[in-house]
Amino acid sequence: MSGIGKRFAGVTALRDVSLTARAGEVLALMGENGAGKSTLMKILGGVQPPDTGEIRIDGQLVTLDGVRAAKRLGISLIHQELMLAPNLDIAANIFLGSEGVSALAPLPRAAMNEKAAALLARVGLSVSPTTLVGALTVGQMQMVEIARALSTNARILIMDEPTASLSANESERLFEVIRKLRTDGVCILYISHRMEEVQMLADRVTVLRDGRWAGDLLRADATSDKIVALMVGRELSGAYFPSKEGRTAGAVILEAKDLLVPGAPAGVSFSARCGEILGFAGLVGAGRTELMTTVFGVTPARAGTMLLDGKPFAPRSPRDAIARGVYLAPEDRKHHGLVLQMSITENTTLPSLRSFSRWGRLDRAAERRVAEAEVKRMATRTPSVFQKVVTLSGGNQQKVVLGKWLAMSPRVLILDEPTRGIDVGARAEIYRHVAALAKEGIAVVVVSSDMEEVIGLCDRVLVMRERRLAGALGPGEITQARIGSLMTGAARAVAA
Amino acid sequence: MKRELGMGAALAVICLALFISNGDFLGQSNAVNTLRQISMLGIYAIGTGFVIVTGGIDLSVGSVVGLTGVIIARVSSQATGGGGHSLLLGIVVALCVALLIGLAQGLLITRLNLQPFIVTLAGMLFIRGISQTVVQGGTLSLGTSPLLGLANGGLFMHGGDPLVPWPLLIFLGVIAGGGYVLHATVFGRYLYAIGGNREAAAYSGIPVKRIETTTYVISAGLAGVAGVCYAAYIGQMSQQVGVAYELYAIAAVVLGGCSLRGGEGTVLGIVIGSAMMKVIDNGINMFQVRYQDADGVPRLWRLDANWTFIIVGSVILIAVVLDQVVHVVQAKRRLRPVEAPAAPTPSLPAV
Repeated sequence: MSGIGKRFAGVTALRDVSLTARAGEVLALMGENGAGKSTLMKILGGVQPPDTGEIRIDGQLVTLDGVRAAKRLGISLIHQELMLAPNLDIAANIFLGSEGVSALAPLPRAAMNEKAAALLARVGLSVSPTTLVGALTVGQMQMVEIARALSTNARILIMDEPTASLSANESERLFEVIRKLRTDGVCILYISHRMEEVQMLADRVTVLRDGRWAGDLLRADATSDKIVALMVGRELSGAYFPSKEGRTAGAVILEAKDLLVPGAPAGVSFSARCGEILGFAGLVGAGRTELMTTVFGVTPARAGTMLLDGKPFAPRSPRDAIARGVYLAPEDRKHHGLVLQMSITENTTLPSLRSFSRWGRLDRAAERRVAEAEVKRMATRTPSVFQKVVTLSGGNQQKVVLGKWLAMSPRVLILDEPTRGIDVGARAEIYRHVAALAKEGIAVVVVSSDMEEVIGLCDRVLVMRERRLAGALGPGEITQARIGSLMTGAARAVAA
Repeated sequence: MKRELGMGAALAVICLALFISNGDFLGQSNAVNTLRQISMLGIYAIGTGFVIVTGGIDLSVGSVVGLTGVIIARVSSQATGGGGHSLLLGIVVALCVALLIGLAQGLLITRLNLQPFIVTLAGMLFIRGISQTVVQGGTLSLGTSPLLGLANGGLFMHGGDPLVPWPLLIFLGVIAGGGYVLHATVFGRYLYAIGGNREAAAYSGIPVKRIETTTYVISAGLAGVAGVCYAAYIGQMSQQVGVAYELYAIAAVVLGGCSLRGGEGTVLGIVIGSAMMKVIDNGINMFQVRYQDADGVPRLWRLDANWTFIIVGSVILIAVVLDQVVHVVQAKRRLRPVEAPAAPTPSLPAV
């Protein structure tokens, strides 16, 4: 691939990226969240077309017009989320869409099972091809995905974080299969965040940063330090972050002790102080969103305790949390944050609606006043407060989410990926508001996968990795290198 | 509101066409009878509307309508098979049973996370079966119960018939109450929020389950009220009373502009939808064309009553197709100034 570029809705996701991979090679692709790894692989897998650049296979210029075209050329992409139908058996999944017969012909079950069994043997999965996929472990499902890729004679196999949800044992089995495929001459492109496994498995590492090629490292050179340096090496362009001067952390307001989030391996302890911005850094899937939804009462904790203002705080629902002044602006604005076809006014007053009731009747004039005040405070760009939020841009939608919480004086405000999908201008405004809130004495918790944001905005940063707290960084310690090594586990690898 | 305007205009056109075709359409007897029919449908359609606005569905209302009358006859009728108790007791018991049915279904749906379609489908069959066992396959007569006056009586008697039948008055009360609750109260706004985005509603601290349960209680309760009216109207309670009524209610609600996805719809729309259903029903009987046959003898052409369901089905289809066309056009218009929502989040994709 050379000179690949891709823009989404005015944001450049990839710029002039080139990449070479050879038959019988494992090439690891690394980079921060948003560096463009997945986009690049989706282009190679035919999921998205590139805006610029060209792709050559065996020296031949090719156009990858859709997933089917890519498959015909021997390219198979295994997504991070497995694309299997749990209600069908293994053989049916492997040949789904490539049964080789017309839609009304009977399924050639015997032939399918036979071929499936051969493929399963190749990936070292010793279960019957007639087993329902839903009955398999995630690791076994991964093998089925690989078998499916091999069924189309894949010569280039792309794996997007295949070990993200695997146990250590399952990962080990996967690596064996990958090594076997490598000796078979298959070219494997491997996206991963895990330093150890990349160093163990990859023949070469290509690092992306901000949608650009940052560097290649051969196996021998691919030390954690060098990889992290390439991943985070950019200079901070921190001009749009508000100054941290003048913010003073007050008393501890929210304290979690051994808080056990459902599905997490261990409890997490942390505390948030009035008037400070506490950051939660980590990779996607590190368990930060889950932790915040537990604090907010969406998925109550399995164990552990929380104190709010020194008093026990154990929300069983968002309702409980809201009653105590703990609010969450969720990661997924469209699904959790807003009722899209309702107006700005209706969304703004939704959590505080009872206070607009006069003898059972909604006081629409009062609602409008509050909505207008919040629109003004947040500088939301909209023709009127009666505009449906679905028509607003991402940045303005986020301002509506913030506005609905600010209208009811937060004590602890949790912002999960507050600027995801938001353009630079709106970001700067949101940062200003967040800083202003902290100055008012509100404890602001920011979960972010954008390292620049964490560093530029937060007073203290907790780093999570694999659903555990990997480390805490105080003022003056918050650097890209430290966060980067904590979140990828490189620190551990270096120490070991 | 556009949807209500459009449906209202269509309704007016249909009424006008029927009146021109057959002057008796607006004659006292037919007009009052049609209003009574609209009212009895509208009462429980508004209840169904509450459920549908939250994105749920209630298939049990027809069976509740039937059971209400059966219980009243069983408790209060002086005729054979009746308990001979006071009418008031019969009505109170029947309405309480209806409310309990709604509560039970609502709790099953919200507390056990069961699908409303399945729960109320089972409820529909179960309640129908209860009616069947109570009447033991036959009919229970209300005899000469004073309840019969509820359907036939009313305000402003004129030539032995009321101009405003009691069911219409009850309907007006339900419209006023339902309209107020749905459009002017916190509870009503919560219904729209839940129907629009259940998750976001929960994240905003709305007691989603409690509210949803309440909508099933309202639906069953209004089905009970309608059931009282139907009992008075029919007089003879058999297991067949109310069969498929839930489908008329859903049709009326959808015709009136509610989306089965939830989050949309108004009481006014449901009223218009109910009127549409019953006017079409009545219109099939009333519509006529005068013509002269080859011999010059004046004759009347009438619609075959067997066509009723074909026509009702077509009207519903036409309405939803038109609605979808409007939606698609609006969505296209909306897409232009905004970034495409289907595109993956651009600047910070989850890698």
